[in-house]
Amino acid sequence: MAARPATPASPKNSKVKAPQPGQPQYGCEHVQRLFNQDQATTNTSIQHYKMILRSIFDTTPLIPQTAKPMDSAAVTILTPTYLCLQCPSTLTEEDRAKHGHKKAHRFYVDSRSGGVYCQMCDDIVWDPTFEELRLRKIGTGTFSTNRKRKNEDELFAADPSKESPQYISTNTSIASCKANGLRGIYNAGATCYQNVVLQSFLHNPVLRNFYLSDGHQSSNCEIPHCLSCAMDDMFQDFYALENTNGYTAANILSGFWISDKKAFENLVTTKEQDAHEFFQFLAEELHERNGDGKKPETGSEHSCNCIIHQTFYGKLQSTTTCQHCGGVTNQVQSFLDLSLPLENLTQKRGKKNSGAAKGPAHMTLTECLDEEYIKSDKCEYRCHNCNSMQQARRQTAIKRLPNVLSIQLKRFEFKQGRNERAAKIDTPVHFPLQLNMLPYTNRARGGDVKDNYELARSCTYDLLSVVVHVGEIDTGHYVSYCRVGDQWFQFNDHKVELAQKSDVLGAKAYLLFYIIRSLT
Amino acid sequence: MSSETGETGKAGIIVAPEGANSMDKLAHSVLDDLLYNIVHDLLIKVHRDEKMARAATAAIKVEKLASDASESSTPDAKPDVRIETDAAIYEEGKVLLKGNPLKTTKEILCPRCHLPRLLHPTDGKGAKKQDQSIIYCKKHPYIEKPGYDIYGQTWVAPGPGRGKKKKDMEKKLDPDASPAPGEGGAKDRPPNVLSFPSATCSKCKRCILVTRLNNHMGSCIGNSGRNASRAAAQKISNGGSNGGSQNNDNTPPGSQKGTPLPASRAASPRKRDGDEFDEDGDDSDPNNPKKKKPKPNVLTKKVILKSKSQSQGQGPSNKKEKVKANSMLSMEQRVDDEDSKNSTVQVAPKKSTPKGTSPIKKLKINPSSKPPQPTSGPKKGSKRERDQESESSGTLSSPPQ
Repeated sequence: MAARPATPASPKNSKVKAPQPGQPQYGCEHVQRLFNQDQATTNTSIQHYKMILRSIFDTTPLIPQTAKPMDSAAVTILTPTYLCLQCPSTLTEEDRAKHGHKKAHRFYVDSRSGGVYCQMCDDIVWDPTFEELRLRKIGTGTFSTNRKRKNEDELFAADPSKESPQYISTNTSIASCKANGLRGIYNAGATCYQNVVLQSFLHNPVLRNFYLSDGHQSSNCEIPHCLSCAMDDMFQDFYALENTNGYTAANILSGFWISDKKAFENLVTTKEQDAHEFFQFLAEELHERNGDGKKPETGSEHSCNCIIHQTFYGKLQSTTTCQHCGGVTNQVQSFLDLSLPLENLTQKRGKKNSGAAKGPAHMTLTECLDEEYIKSDKCEYRCHNCNSMQQARRQTAIKRLPNVLSIQLKRFEFKQGRNERAAKIDTPVHFPLQLNMLPYTNRARGGDVKDNYELARSCTYDLLSVVVHVGEIDTGHYVSYCRVGDQWFQFNDHKVELAQKSDVLGAKAYLLFYIIRSLT
Repeated sequence: MSSETGETGKAGIIVAPEGANSMDKLAHSVLDDLLYNIVHDLLIKVHRDEKMARAATAAIKVEKLASDASESSTPDAKPDVRIETDAAIYEEGKVLLKGNPLKTTKEILCPRCHLPRLLHPTDGKGAKKQDQSIIYCKKHPYIEKPGYDIYGQTWVAPGPGRGKKKKDMEKKLDPDASPAPGEGGAKDRPPNVLSFPSATCSKCKRCILVTRLNNHMGSCIGNSGRNASRAAAQKISNGGSNGGSQNNDNTPPGSQKGTPLPASRAASPRKRDGDEFDEDGDDSDPNNPKKKKPKPNVLTKKVILKSKSQSQGQGPSNKKEKVKANSMLSMEQRVDDEDSKNSTVQVAPKKSTPKGTSPIKKLKINPSSKPPQPTSGPKKGSKRERDQESESSGTLSSPPQ
């Protein structure tokens, strides 16, 4: 379970985090004393802490939640326990004082957060050394400083000479504390479908870091009306200026109008458009400006190192099994987003509900994902072995998860028949703040991954932004919610307001953006 | 632990009723424990943020004292002094905490600018008056107040006739939005009431009110045709110096190419007169038929002069002025349409709107300029020709009929 055996025989001495300006060296005077006793104490303290973190985050919760008081039987509780940093005891809050009194052990780790409790302060202390380990465990899952995700290394390949504080301070400018990226975007006349997508890009940490670290410098780019330059300028305006007034996305708009993408010709009118189409347009346009120049083709596998591919693109694998000979065919294709149909499920619900009381039909995001990426469907298929058309079962799973997972809930469907008009499906779909994508990957098919907490964590996503369409299909309006840190904001064109989690979760989402936890 | 015997869990809020069976009690105590966990997690998060901010504040303060105490002028160097405050000790380049920063440190300094953070919003929910004598960090708590954004800003409702839509009407309902972006509005408004800005079209370099930008670009750049872009490109090369004045109204693509030469020749003497009055660079464009049209007589010319000097006085960069002009345009245009039932204008009023700026504005400024027009015979003839080619010109020629 543990990534590495945590034996004290490890040759390296554990080090306390180097002092940082503007930060105390230790969490409290008592931690200071602990770390200043001798090297052996420091080593065991840090190794014990790592072990405790592993048992909290990498094992079944049964282990850390079971307290073993010295004098009575073990008891498992739901509420937090405290794991002694200086011996292998796990204690309830009540027994903690007793244990400390008897053994003179003063530090305990909270089983829910991994925070260190100091008995002498009678408070949780946030020691920089311990905190760094805790955050790394929660984030990437490993204690080593080498980044785990390969993608990110390519993206932000570090040149050691450029890492020195001197180099950074001479080559960067510090933005005002007021510049925080929170600005509205003016509606240029039925452009709210663009604004919501732009806001979700602006508050996407991967894209933000790319543009703010001069990933695409508009001053060095010679392509006229380049949309990536327009994005660069917009990121600069949002994160470097003190301006709190709305932003006028004139360059994005003109870049959009000038773009000669034939596939999007019908998108270019002054009518309100589909935000999802604009998302695809913008993603592909930015890929062409930053990527390998190949057009991403739907239905095929396309690997590229551009910022858009590293942010949004994943891979799907569909497995077709011939019902006659049992032959299996695999097909891999790249995806920019997952589109989840709502219609079938809505209809099923409708049938179920019609018998019983007519409650408001609703469903969950996981149900929609189950339908697409766990269940299999029947299809006709030309089998190579049998050399004839055969019944087959087809099943699709995610082969490679993206850093930012975008999900479209297909609320707008063209209804065949009567008057062939597009209709909006208004069924609420409940979506979570954190999403575990492991069940939808093809690794989940392999074997028993139920208890693999490390794997599950590497597939855990946090909700980043939500695009909502309100109103009717033709006259509606788009708003979006984005998360900055732990705070949610609602973006309604030029207006930015605070939002509660309940506002976000109660919204009838159209597009959802989830970011992989190990990146944040 | 508690599930064995108790009627409730650790939080003690969700209590099973008396005489409940053991499953009921268990359910209640599990739910109560879960509630406790939620509160615990929230508390840990807030505690972490607050305590780390206070600890950092203690460190920043003592470091500041240390660097003040040392003579060294290099800011990066670690001063070799020992400083002690109530909250921390500075020694050998390290900061050591004294006691619990939650108790010893009351304020929070910004880790970047080292100024104190304002801890309460200045308006709306939870607002407190800020101490004017203190310079705070520029990062303020966000404001939560209906009708205002997180910075306490609100917007002037778009004026009448500017493509009123449902959305605009809703904005008007905002309690404190001042309704009239009228004359001198910018000065009368409190600083937190903003108006919609204008932006420059990247193609024709004209300044367009943001709410019309998409519409404008659709016709200027978009698929309304090669002619549109060709016309715009020509405009840029011809009148590039005008810097986005509203007088740089462009002619619909068809008429620019199509306007017969005789028209411009016929107009030329007076045209030049006009040019002397309006120094706006674009007016020297001889291919711009609209410029000629409203200048058939002295009266109109004066009007033009007036309007030109007005707009020039306020400078091409004065966006508010432009906004105002635009709003008049739309109002006036409607009047115009009513006047002329037989005009060609109705064909596509939308398209003509962003283009017909200047002539209509002239009409507005002096409505009496309409009657004299018929007297200028030769002019009228050329006007008629243009009518067939451009609906925008039609707008202008219609009143005389």
